Amino acid sequence: MKKLVAVILMFLGTTAAFTQATESQRSVVSPAQLSIANAQRLIDKNPKDFEAYNSLALALARRARETSDPNFYTQAEEALQKSFAVSPGNYDGARIQVWLLLGKHEFAAALEEATKLNKRIPDDVMVYGFLTDANVELGNYSDAEHAAQWMLNLRAANLAGLTRAAYLRELYGDPEGAVELMKMALDSTPPSEVEDRAWITTQIAHLKMATGKTGEAEELLQQAIASFPGYHYALRNLGKLRMQQKRYDEAVALFQQRYQAASHAENLFDLAEAQQIAGRTLDARQSFAEFERKSLAETNRADNSNHELIIYYADYANQTAKALEVASREYARRHDVFTLDCYAWALHVNGQDVEARKKIEAALAVGIQDANMLRHAGEIALSSGDIVAAQRYLRHAADLNAPDSDRARATLASLSTGSAQK
Amino acid sequence: MKQMKAVLAMALIVLASGNMFASSHREAPITALDRGADVTDWYAFVSYDHPDRVTMILNVDPLLEPANGPNYFPFDPNVLYEMKVDNNRDGMEDVTFQFRFKTEIRAPGVFTGFVGGIFGIPPITALNGPGSEGLSLRQTYTVTMIKNGKATDLTGGNSLYAVPSNVGPLTMPTYDTLFSQGVYSLANNVRVFAGTVDDPFYIDLGAAFDSLNFRMGVGGILSPQVDADDTHNYAPDSVAGYNVNSIVLEVPITMLTADGKLHGFGDKQAVIGTYGATSRPVVSVRRTTGSASSAFQQVNREGNSLINELIIGTGSKDKFSTDDPKNDGQFAAFFLDPLLAHLFNSVLGIPVPPAPRLDLLPLVQYTAPICPGCGPKDGGPIADLLRLNTGIPPTAVGKQKRLGFLAGDIAGFPNGRRPIDDVVDIASRAVAGILVDPVKYGAAIGDGVNINENGYGTTFPYVTPANSGRNSHHVGPGQDGCSGQPNGICPIN
Repeated sequence: MKKLVAVILMFLGTTAAFTQATESQRSVVSPAQLSIANAQRLIDKNPKDFEAYNSLALALARRARETSDPNFYTQAEEALQKSFAVSPGNYDGARIQVWLLLGKHEFAAALEEATKLNKRIPDDVMVYGFLTDANVELGNYSDAEHAAQWMLNLRAANLAGLTRAAYLRELYGDPEGAVELMKMALDSTPPSEVEDRAWITTQIAHLKMATGKTGEAEELLQQAIASFPGYHYALRNLGKLRMQQKRYDEAVALFQQRYQAASHAENLFDLAEAQQIAGRTLDARQSFAEFERKSLAETNRADNSNHELIIYYADYANQTAKALEVASREYARRHDVFTLDCYAWALHVNGQDVEARKKIEAALAVGIQDANMLRHAGEIALSSGDIVAAQRYLRHAADLNAPDSDRARATLASLSTGSAQK
Repeated sequence: MKQMKAVLAMALIVLASGNMFASSHREAPITALDRGADVTDWYAFVSYDHPDRVTMILNVDPLLEPANGPNYFPFDPNVLYEMKVDNNRDGMEDVTFQFRFKTEIRAPGVFTGFVGGIFGIPPITALNGPGSEGLSLRQTYTVTMIKNGKATDLTGGNSLYAVPSNVGPLTMPTYDTLFSQGVYSLANNVRVFAGTVDDPFYIDLGAAFDSLNFRMGVGGILSPQVDADDTHNYAPDSVAGYNVNSIVLEVPITMLTADGKLHGFGDKQAVIGTYGATSRPVVSVRRTTGSASSAFQQVNREGNSLINELIIGTGSKDKFSTDDPKNDGQFAAFFLDPLLAHLFNSVLGIPVPPAPRLDLLPLVQYTAPICPGCGPKDGGPIADLLRLNTGIPPTAVGKQKRLGFLAGDIAGFPNGRRPIDDVVDIASRAVAGILVDPVKYGAAIGDGVNINENGYGTTFPYVTPANSGRNSHHVGPGQDGCSGQPNGICPIN
């Protein structure tokens, strides 16, 4: 019965969207909620059905993404424990356990467990997906690429392999190639999977934004929000786009909406930054203060907002020593390009430009074309006295015409002015 | 960094989605994770009303629930759907028909859906033009023939529309008309259809996969009365009420034979070997060129029905699915000593012939009785192809037998396959040895499901319109749907 109601609601939701209705569709039951209801029904029928508990755990993890609420991961773990109580060590349960470790950002542990599963069943596509994810997050890109390619070799153009390969292409500096794979993934995603489709559409929009195609990004983000109203990933990207367009009040409103939907510290950081740039200094101060409090509360956990905390201390709070302390801790955990970038920036604001340059160049050597990262590289090179490299990095960042390109242009302009004055 | 979290979360979910289904109608571990590319059934037969033409049906994406809206079941634009024909007995395709689909989203801001009869949107009565406004998600497709290395577009510049699923009478009040609009007559006597249809396959899946735990208290051996009945079911058809995505193509036989001519049944050139396949693009993490790869990797195939499901061992199913028929020699052990025969022996208590089972070779080689004109050197490699003698005229509608060749209806399976052919019973009996000795090994093995109760098309496209999302239902044990049983109620035991 629950499924029936859900189906009807989904139908009405589609109908409403079709007729360009603007009312909220929050009452529409999501794919994850449907799956949760289905799994629960099976459990009600047979409380000894460990596969149903596995399904429930999967569905709850999915709901965690839909809502950005980590409490669903906790519930998923509880469901998984019930599965193991009925069938100790069952393989599907073991796979979901790795999944949840990844969800909690326990990347090293996830890699260890996934490696064990890979030895147990060598050609399991899903396990190669876990290996890819864990290695990407830890910065082991070669291992990640190997695992992702195995996924695609084992099962041609499978959806999970496509999205992973797309992300690797983005990291390797091939956003057009990433879009190509994401579009394939979108084509193969069943229309009923509205949230999956909204997620992929948002990722394509992100790639378009990163390469200056703002018109296409706008259209895609509106599609994502229309198909999955209030979608927090899409709201975030639309907020970034509004910042780039200097429509600051709208950006602040979008970031507020997103923070209400997913009240994580990192989401508050985006809001605070937007308020600051919008000139709403008092609001920004309050948001930053709340951000720091929330971020510090989780700074020693695996699932943290340390990247934002580093930038906050470095760029807004003038607490450079704290920035380096947090960055050093995070760098001890992982060497992915984003951590390298934050670590390099923390080193730079502490005057350690030689080491900072090594780290930022290590990040860029992976191939990523990220305007913010390139701007950091330019600033670090400038601080090191290498004006030629600084101009190269900054020009590259500016040419991307991405949301963070304006800052690079400003620095580049100041360089030109400085040169002219000299 | 948020991007990474997002990617991670997505990857997790996408992996999960393929795991949510558990159907026995998906045979191979890999394709079980890839519904859109899962070949459910392959048919090839001489057209009933055009003895100079062959009709081929490629069905994909199993057990589609008609009520599963709001977006139903489009073909996958990333899948290359192919029909392949060997005409010189070497196990390799000489003529290939390729089908590629494109999805069109017609309502801005909305990805999918079919709406009609409400909110001022007219009911969906057409695939294009007035009456098609409610088709938010619409698919077009192309048909290409590959022959002698040359690709020929068969669509002739026409826009071919796939027929959507049958949502229900308010949204699609004249669904049969929509279905008819999906039939296209192209140049050179080629006809084509693609869309969601009633799945013509019929089987008691639940009993078959419960270790051959058949119903009716006869242990899977049909009584003469049940066995002789080609018009009623005695056990529940697990596929009843489900839809499937179907591509149907009718072409002149002269387009398929090696010399482009018609041949009599005694001429080996009359015999073709056919199979249906699905493929997906080969993808590398790193692009080697500036554009998308044009290479494809096969995901699934079917020649003879139930070979992969019943004969090939689980550990080899994926390899079988992704390899070409010409390499099927590697699976010879499965063909020549099928495990299923031993199961029949132990579960049903019937005698089966000893291995090696050379009697099964006609299913995988060119030889009599399907190819009476083939000599000892014409067999070709062991290859799972659905062989069709195009020189054997079609059996008239109404006189066709569900047991096909075994019942003397030589226009039926395993001489090709028609929707009416009861491949479950025929293949089971073949595996049990009926071709060796019809008396000693001729047990009337069967599941008691003798027909598709929705019927069959008697002319192109031979498939029938999709079950209505609103008004259709399935058939199960203890439920109505077995017209051969008292009160029509299907047995549980």
